[in-house]
Amino acid sequence: MLLFKRVGWLALACLGAFSLATIAISRGEHIDSIWLVLAAVCTYLIAYRFYGKFLAARVMALDENRATPAERLENGHDFVPTNKWIVFGHHFAAIAGPGPLVGPVLAAQFGYLPGTLWIIAGAVLGGAVQDFVILFASLRRDGKSLGQMARDEIGKTGGLIALLTVLLIMIVLLAVVALVVVNALAGSPWGTFTIAATMPVAVFMGLYLRFWRPGKVLECSAIGFALVIAAVFGGQWVAGSTALAPVFTLSAMTIAVAIIIYGFLASALPVWLLLAPRDYLSTFVKLGVIAMLAAGILAVHPRLEMPALTRFIDGSGPVFAGKIFPFCFITIACGAVSGFHALISSGTTPKMLAREPHALPVGYGSMLLESMVAIMAMIASCALQPGVYFAVNSPAGLVGQTAQAAVATISGWGFPVTADQMQELAKGVGEITLFSRTGGAPSLALGMAKIFARNGGGAILGFWYHFAIMFEALFILTIIDAGTRVGRFMLQDLLGQFSKPLGRTSWMPGVIATSAVVVAAWGYFLIEGVRDPLGGINSLWPLFGIANQLLAAIALSVATTVLLKMHGPKYIWITCLPLVWLVTVTFSAAWQKIFSPLPRIGFLAQADQLKTGPLAFNARLDAVVCGVFMVLVAIVLAESLKLWFGLLRGTRDASVAEAPFVPTQLASEEI
Amino acid sequence: MKLFRIFLTILRELADQNAYARHLSAHGTTHSGAEWRRFCDERFRARYRNARCC
Repeated sequence: MLLFKRVGWLALACLGAFSLATIAISRGEHIDSIWLVLAAVCTYLIAYRFYGKFLAARVMALDENRATPAERLENGHDFVPTNKWIVFGHHFAAIAGPGPLVGPVLAAQFGYLPGTLWIIAGAVLGGAVQDFVILFASLRRDGKSLGQMARDEIGKTGGLIALLTVLLIMIVLLAVVALVVVNALAGSPWGTFTIAATMPVAVFMGLYLRFWRPGKVLECSAIGFALVIAAVFGGQWVAGSTALAPVFTLSAMTIAVAIIIYGFLASALPVWLLLAPRDYLSTFVKLGVIAMLAAGILAVHPRLEMPALTRFIDGSGPVFAGKIFPFCFITIACGAVSGFHALISSGTTPKMLAREPHALPVGYGSMLLESMVAIMAMIASCALQPGVYFAVNSPAGLVGQTAQAAVATISGWGFPVTADQMQELAKGVGEITLFSRTGGAPSLALGMAKIFARNGGGAILGFWYHFAIMFEALFILTIIDAGTRVGRFMLQDLLGQFSKPLGRTSWMPGVIATSAVVVAAWGYFLIEGVRDPLGGINSLWPLFGIANQLLAAIALSVATTVLLKMHGPKYIWITCLPLVWLVTVTFSAAWQKIFSPLPRIGFLAQADQLKTGPLAFNARLDAVVCGVFMVLVAIVLAESLKLWFGLLRGTRDASVAEAPFVPTQLASEEI
Repeated sequence: MKLFRIFLTILRELADQNAYARHLSAHGTTHSGAEWRRFCDERFRARYRNARCC
């Protein structure tokens, strides 16, 4: 039996190695996407079985007999011992946002190879390790949050900076995801109608759940889903109506203003009315579409039209400027390493785990699944003709304002595309144009629609394209609602120190004022992105990537401190290696974004070129924000290094701040 | 069959229906519109204080 197992694992390792070799050495020929799937799945299985189990058994010594916070502090609300697969589903639904879908689509400008290798290696050695160690640390500390652990393990400064960084990242995150939606809906009556219709649908669901059928969330979500699908069909009818189409054909600026107003209202309205029902619906749609995409890729296994490497590895890419190193590694954050995951791993999840060993599938396993989602997004975008991909993702300010100018520029890069081809494609998906629809969402929707529709064209392709746009916009808007609200709470907590009424979440003037401040902050960056002649994504996505990876650096500093206190220097390489890599990548990227002499990369060079006016001011503001991120994380790193040297020399207290051991009383049938 | 049961339980968990059942049992009460609203108010207050992932 043991021999069979060993042969099985060896065969899997060989298959994984062969698949990786196939995608790594193929040049000048199109490969089947199934090789990416095989390379990823084999690597994940081996990493989970060997590296994950090594971390669980040797490094963390997860103890089956130790009572978890869910058991010790059970209160029926937050702390509830739960079946591991349910916690897995819960945790995965919480970490899967738009990041793993949009990042790989943008990074596909380098070709499929760099992004794919980073997604696989980054997740196995960095992202999953971070999520797992932070989950374990929180599990042993009564479910404490990342901020609390940073304060306890590194010092007061670390805790404060972690909180401040989260607030700043959220502002940039909300702006950039809102920009993705704006770029997907601008000039699209079909898309705009569909998304606008989801708002009354959510309010209907809110009233249904609150007053008509309380507690029937699954039933209500099924009705909501049917209504949203009806809205996708209705959008096609609206786009074909001479009376209604102009009403829903809106400019990018109009949509941006509408989203800002929406964000403000959603933050101030009762949560049961709009946010919660939309959240239920978007969670189910998100998980369903991810499963559908996986099934579609396995059934169709499309050929990758994008080459392994494109000419844009030299940094001259039209989607965003900058070389593979460091920009590929900050563009793909959530599919490989995401600091935000540390907030989830130290949030609800540790309060639900019934047994310590469940942290392995939930912490390490969920991140591998998220990484697989990123691989699927990479496949969907690379299955498009490269000329089409660049026509959709290149800003008009770079390739030209007319179709003829754009196709001439893109074909000149060696990626042939014609105006007729783009026109036919736009007509097929029910859009006026697909040129310069930057942000990643339209090209991802196009790739997904091609997979879902397979050989179907016309109406089928149009339905699936808008279904994919609806799916992306639905959960991005949920992030905007919820993020604005969380930002408002954080601000109210902060202001409550100085003025008691402002800290009260029930005092309406305080709610309105703080909501307005948070919305104004991300709204400013959103408007800046809309006005940017280079499409906004070129500036905002790297800023978001840098911020997210810097939060990961803080999480990995906490994780390293925990391992150092537990084992001395023996195992710190596990978190130190990804930490060193992330610090190198993010500081290089941040430095280039501020100081590069090339205006498409460096914010200050861009400001110098523009000299005066709002665009020059915005470039300088972006440089300041980037600099603030660097300084904040440098302080945490300096504090951590000081502590680590103290621990190694024996001058600092190395006692582990774990909750004391209590034997579990839970019988296995209870979980 | 077991897989389907787990799948259904995950859906019920994501829909907060399991949490509601636990709430009813913890408070020794039965389902009513008012109880559901009380449960939602508590649950949403806690949930929407946490940052959402990107």
